[in-house]
Amino acid sequence: MVLFILRRLGQALIAIFGVMTLVFFIQRLTGDPTYLLVPETATQADIEAMRRSLGLDQPIIVQYMSFLRDIAQFDFGRSYVQRIPVTTIIASRLPYTLQLAGGALLVSFGLGVPLGVVMALWRDRPATKLLTGFVFASQSMPTFWSGILFILFFAVWLGWLPPSGAGGIENLILPSFALGLLSMATFARVTRTAMLDELSKDYVRSARARGVATPRLFWRHLARNAAIPVISVAALEISQLLAGAVIVETVFAWPGLGLLTVQSIVSRDFLVVQGIVLIGAFVTIALNFTADILYSVVDPRIRLDGSRP
Amino acid sequence: MTRPRTRLATLVLGAAVATAAFAPEMAFAQAKPEITIDLVNEPSSLDPHGQWNPDSYYVYRNVFDNVVTRDNEGNVVPEIATEWTRLSDTEVEFTLRDDITFHDGEPLTAEDVVYSIERITDPEFGSPQLGQFDKITGAEATGDHTVVLTTDGPYPVLLAQLVKLSVVPKHVVEEVGAEAFNLNPVGSGPYRFEEWQRGVSVTLSRYDDYWGEKGPFETAVFRAVPDASTRMADLQAGTADLVVTLDSDQARQLETSPGVKPLIVQTERVAFLGLNTTKPPFDDPQARKAVALAIDKEGIVEGLLAGGEQVVGELASPAHFGWVDGIEAYPYDPEQAKELIEQAGAGGTEIRFATSPVFDQRIVQAVQQMLSEVGLNVSIDLTDMATYLQKAQGPLADRPQISFGRWSCACQDADGIMYPLLHSSSNWSRYQNTEMDALLEEGRSSLDEATRLAAYEKAHRIVRDDVAILPLYQAAIIYGARDGLQWTPTANESLFLNRMSWQGE
Repeated sequence: MVLFILRRLGQALIAIFGVMTLVFFIQRLTGDPTYLLVPETATQADIEAMRRSLGLDQPIIVQYMSFLRDIAQFDFGRSYVQRIPVTTIIASRLPYTLQLAGGALLVSFGLGVPLGVVMALWRDRPATKLLTGFVFASQSMPTFWSGILFILFFAVWLGWLPPSGAGGIENLILPSFALGLLSMATFARVTRTAMLDELSKDYVRSARARGVATPRLFWRHLARNAAIPVISVAALEISQLLAGAVIVETVFAWPGLGLLTVQSIVSRDFLVVQGIVLIGAFVTIALNFTADILYSVVDPRIRLDGSRP
Repeated sequence: MTRPRTRLATLVLGAAVATAAFAPEMAFAQAKPEITIDLVNEPSSLDPHGQWNPDSYYVYRNVFDNVVTRDNEGNVVPEIATEWTRLSDTEVEFTLRDDITFHDGEPLTAEDVVYSIERITDPEFGSPQLGQFDKITGAEATGDHTVVLTTDGPYPVLLAQLVKLSVVPKHVVEEVGAEAFNLNPVGSGPYRFEEWQRGVSVTLSRYDDYWGEKGPFETAVFRAVPDASTRMADLQAGTADLVVTLDSDQARQLETSPGVKPLIVQTERVAFLGLNTTKPPFDDPQARKAVALAIDKEGIVEGLLAGGEQVVGELASPAHFGWVDGIEAYPYDPEQAKELIEQAGAGGTEIRFATSPVFDQRIVQAVQQMLSEVGLNVSIDLTDMATYLQKAQGPLADRPQISFGRWSCACQDADGIMYPLLHSSSNWSRYQNTEMDALLEEGRSSLDEATRLAAYEKAHRIVRDDVAILPLYQAAIIYGARDGLQWTPTANESLFLNRMSWQGE
């Protein structure tokens, strides 16, 4: 167990180093932020002065070395555009992204898993057709479109919820649904398949033959066995939620990291993008790690060195 | 069958509209305590010397006073400075108001003005606005409320630039440093800074000891709402009172919705097609003239944009000093354009139209199509903005053969856009003509208005006759507001709260 954790930690460090290096160089291939910072009427001398004051006049290798040195000391630098530390900017945005991701996860997991179970248990009932339709619709609507529809319907016409911005829990509802419905569909499908898979197995038939009631059968056996694929998908889907947040946050003017990512990429605010990517890499690695641990909790047959007996 | 039903619907709708229209009348002229304004992004900085973009100055221009300002008609009028006298060709003395206090209660003095100018022109500070003020070489306080500014040579555009020079309190900035000042700015304007919720909103509150016209709202909230459809929804749902940057389709939608209205103003932004006159095929004046004839400017303005834009024949707008009446745009004549291209033999040359998603791609595609129709071989080179800008300001031979732009110098003076776009020394210019250079230099350095105007008139004629660049139209911007808001937007894209008022609702 300890060896496993140490090895995964070592892999994580290498992955993060690789991601950071990649982001550092790719960003610098895509253009010079100085031109975006000065007004169009600036002269060449103004541009040079700006570039010097940002440290962008240094050779790229020198910039890279000082970047590595700063990162090692947890110094993420200062935003070119806002001129305040990157950590301040990210820290102010992170809580909003966590709220939205939490809300969306609640919608996707809380709605998707029960739906999947119901669709599997009642697979022959006509009502299931309706549910399948709902799942398909949720999966097929792009968020930039469903988001606008939600705003028009629930905020402008019905006036039940605020159309945009952050604030109380009522502001969180529409973006959470817009973001969550997409993964909800994935959860529902995976849960349904996993359940059907288990339902067709011999132990289920013999349990039923012994007269075990469906609820008991579900909680004691099915839920646990069907959980493994759902956990794998969950780790992926949460990373997907963070990626999807980019669009949903833009539509709903939700001040999270997704919106910040778009704005920072557009303005070539390199250091902010680097900070966000670092967090993203960290979250993804942490999620996969958690999923690995959870496998062995749910199914003791799985050992942490990855080999199944 | 559907007739009676339609009529019934009309009746119900009519009644609803009548009620809606009647309701505000009853609550006439009530004070509105809070205004909510949706910007596109949050300000990138509230330090007025730290940044240069509309989302920042929409907000901070209410927190800070400028040396001078422009009234709603566009004339330069006193703000901090009450009068100004020219001491010599390069020196101007400004007399300042003596009753201005910063929001911390300290008086605004000549020292603060000198400090602000020295700060923004210090290359080490790295202000993006440096280029607008780098002609100022010295600032000296000659009394408590008099300042003498020295310029690098005679500089007629000084006042027009000082419209944007916000004065910061020396004692605060020196004490807390630039970073803390950006987080908690102190100015002398009609509104004081209250709170900045990162990524969400900036809140300002009325400064009751303001020396001039006080604001009509106790508080003002500026929010960041990047998506235009969401800004529209906010306005229609009543959670925003004023929103910026809408397009003409949205303006028409607002015209037909109850309780809201579009506010449209022609700005000092001029749209143009830039041609690289040093590279084939546009090194041939005939080919450039063909482009001028091939573009249906009226079609773009009325058919495509339809937001109050105005076709111009010169690289300026009526909002600029240096605008000359009667310089006509080229007519739309594709037949003649075709002939010219055949004569010039320009049909075979590959032409790359460099652009980025920031520019209205409807126009870029329309232009490409119009040019293809008269026999030019144009392909669109779409890159991101940073790459585009780097190319556009790179070595002359690499600058785009053709590009579309919309420029404002925020100074309402022809010098601000003509010099950087047409003077051969500029890193944007794709035109080399010593006569043009001389005229632009005269316009930039003569202190006599008539001489300047004459120079710009000659320059406009060269632009037209030689198609040095192809001016297209004067751009308009569209705001959306609730019916109660009384406000006249101005050509320099400012948003002064103390020039607004509220009626009804």
